[in-house]
Amino acid sequence: MIEPLFLEGVIKILFVFVLISAALIISTRSLASVLTTYTVQSFLLAAVSFLLYLMEGKSELLLLAGLTLASKVLLIPHFIKRIEEKIKISRDLNFTYLEPTTSLLLSIGLILLSYAFLSRVFEAFALSKLFFFGAVIGLSLTLMGMLVMFSRRKVITKALGYLSMENGVLMFGIFVTELPFILEILIIIDLIILVLLTSILAVGLDSSIEEYRKKIRRLQVWNGGEAL
Amino acid sequence: MIRFYLLAMGVFLTLGLIPKSHRLMNALAAGNAFFHLALTCAALLTLELPVRYGPTLYLDHLNLYVELITAVGFCAAAFYAKGYTESLMEAGELDPKNLKLFYLAFNLLLVMATAALFSDNLALFWVFAELTTVCAAVLVAILSARENIDAALKYVFIVSGAMLFAFLGLIFLFTLSAQVLGEGTLSWTELMENASGFSPALLLTSFAFAFIGFGAKAGVAPFHTWLPDAYARAPSVSAILSGLMQNLGIYGILRMYALLRVSEAASQASFILIAAGLFSIALAAFSMFQQRNLKRLIAFSSVEHMGLLLVGIGVGTSLALFWALFYMLVHVLVKEALLFAAGILHRQYRSNMREDMRDVFKLQPRAAWTLILGSVAIVGMPPFPLFPAKFFILLESAEISSYLTLAVLLLLILAAASFANFLLKAFSRVTAEGDGSEGGHGKETGYRKKSLQDPYVVRAGMRIPTVFMLALALLLGLWFPEPLRALLEAIVLELGYV
Repeated sequence: MIEPLFLEGVIKILFVFVLISAALIISTRSLASVLTTYTVQSFLLAAVSFLLYLMEGKSELLLLAGLTLASKVLLIPHFIKRIEEKIKISRDLNFTYLEPTTSLLLSIGLILLSYAFLSRVFEAFALSKLFFFGAVIGLSLTLMGMLVMFSRRKVITKALGYLSMENGVLMFGIFVTELPFILEILIIIDLIILVLLTSILAVGLDSSIEEYRKKIRRLQVWNGGEAL
Repeated sequence: MIRFYLLAMGVFLTLGLIPKSHRLMNALAAGNAFFHLALTCAALLTLELPVRYGPTLYLDHLNLYVELITAVGFCAAAFYAKGYTESLMEAGELDPKNLKLFYLAFNLLLVMATAALFSDNLALFWVFAELTTVCAAVLVAILSARENIDAALKYVFIVSGAMLFAFLGLIFLFTLSAQVLGEGTLSWTELMENASGFSPALLLTSFAFAFIGFGAKAGVAPFHTWLPDAYARAPSVSAILSGLMQNLGIYGILRMYALLRVSEAASQASFILIAAGLFSIALAAFSMFQQRNLKRLIAFSSVEHMGLLLVGIGVGTSLALFWALFYMLVHVLVKEALLFAAGILHRQYRSNMREDMRDVFKLQPRAAWTLILGSVAIVGMPPFPLFPAKFFILLESAEISSYLTLAVLLLLILAAASFANFLLKAFSRVTAEGDGSEGGHGKETGYRKKSLQDPYVVRAGMRIPTVFMLALALLLGLWFPEPLRALLEAIVLELGYV
């Protein structure tokens, strides 16, 4: 049996890495490295959930870790990689409303905000320090993911922003409570949305290559945006 | 029971994949909608409500009522879909290969919405609501795929992103119930029984988060940004978006608010609702003013109506809620008629823009009159049932503050003026007889000739539901059926309004 205190220490270190990964998704310009960062982030999430399983011995956590590993570390990045290859755009250079530096500063603000907010909310609950921090990291990750969705232009980066939002929600869920089955369903919905995204984009790609690609580059998902 | 239902529907949907002919596919979709309508009516007439079957299936007046609205909307949309998709295929805007996918998503949307409405569990409601988003996105994307991809993606991202916040709200609620009850629960009924014991501040927090998600689904400002695009680009078949998706969001908000009403945070919650409602109305009214795109006009009008509904719910008196519920039904009827008519005009002019519409009365007299009557209905003129609904909601809102009433009234007038402005400018463009008049507008000659030459032949399947919805709305305005009144009163009681 591994010492629980040691596990707690490891989890705390992982928290730091999760935050770093979120910051990287906000600021990195190369699509491939955004994807890699997302994969690493999901892997961290799976690791956290596995370590928690070692600490608490709840089988749901193990299941969650397995599902996360299978879908978010292997399947989803594979999907997105295929889209990226098809569309042949490797960099997301432009930012809509916020430049990376501003968004990074803003995300520090978001982390502080979620800390302040949750410390008030969870006064009533007897939540241990580790679990409280997990909740804070989860909420900040969600908010930072939202920031990505707003500030990045290409659909792929937006999708990765959405997915990292979802990572945040999962993290929050793991630490605050143990929802019976719905966390797993969340992951499955993730997959469905992604398959949908892929097929929507792929249908267009197959039908008429050059014209479609031209068109899709002009897509505006938010004002002044361009797809993919 | 839900499992049986889903299993039966799964079989049905796989069967739906077999037929080759459009007629059969459409008949199946219409049959599916009628099946749901019949089931709902049967349940309303025979069952002693509310009833629970097993751990998850829960029937009460509210969800049956919303399902009734949904099913009526779907029946009309299914009829309309045949003609509309056919003309889209003729125009080459819809790949016939995608027709099967279209009907699959169409049927699946109804099934998912039904499952969401009848599950007595917030978590399940959330899951199915998310799945309806996916199906609706397919419907938006599939027709004339390239232009609509954008709208579909925007729709998925905004609504799903907001729904994640609702999920956070659910986690809060679950933790809260675990703290009070010992074991966490997300069942509506159990939560309703125990909500008075929950800490008001936390309950309010979870309500606020859930409101973001459900509000985005309902198209409430500031989470409405997907709506004008989805409406404007999606074909009118997506009128069901307004009938179904928005009501689904309102349904979630209604349920969450009912939890809040028994706690001490009720006044803050109703403040959130009224503030969001007022903001939606204001934003929509100002966007509608000078709007030149017909479908965007109708879309913003939806935002406005959702705002008014929120005000009606937030005011919190039983009378206001009664009329807000009635409003949900009538809004769907009128809005679908409007969107159907706008779809016919879109087929005629291949455009939703005001400038492109000419000789409307000569080319599409029926659609033009439907639009005029629909606009009269939607702005709430007396013979139509939106008038009493708006009137009583406004009257009750004076209980909160007479300034609120005044502000809403002014904004409603602005919205009405925008409709009048649009219709006057769009429908008064007439090409004079003979060729001589064309000299004055040299640039547009070619186009005008073309539009004058061939009026678009409206298929009967498209006309009947349009007229039917409007007639039904008019009927409800002239005669308020007794069973409907009893049903609405039962809902008001069930939600804990005395």
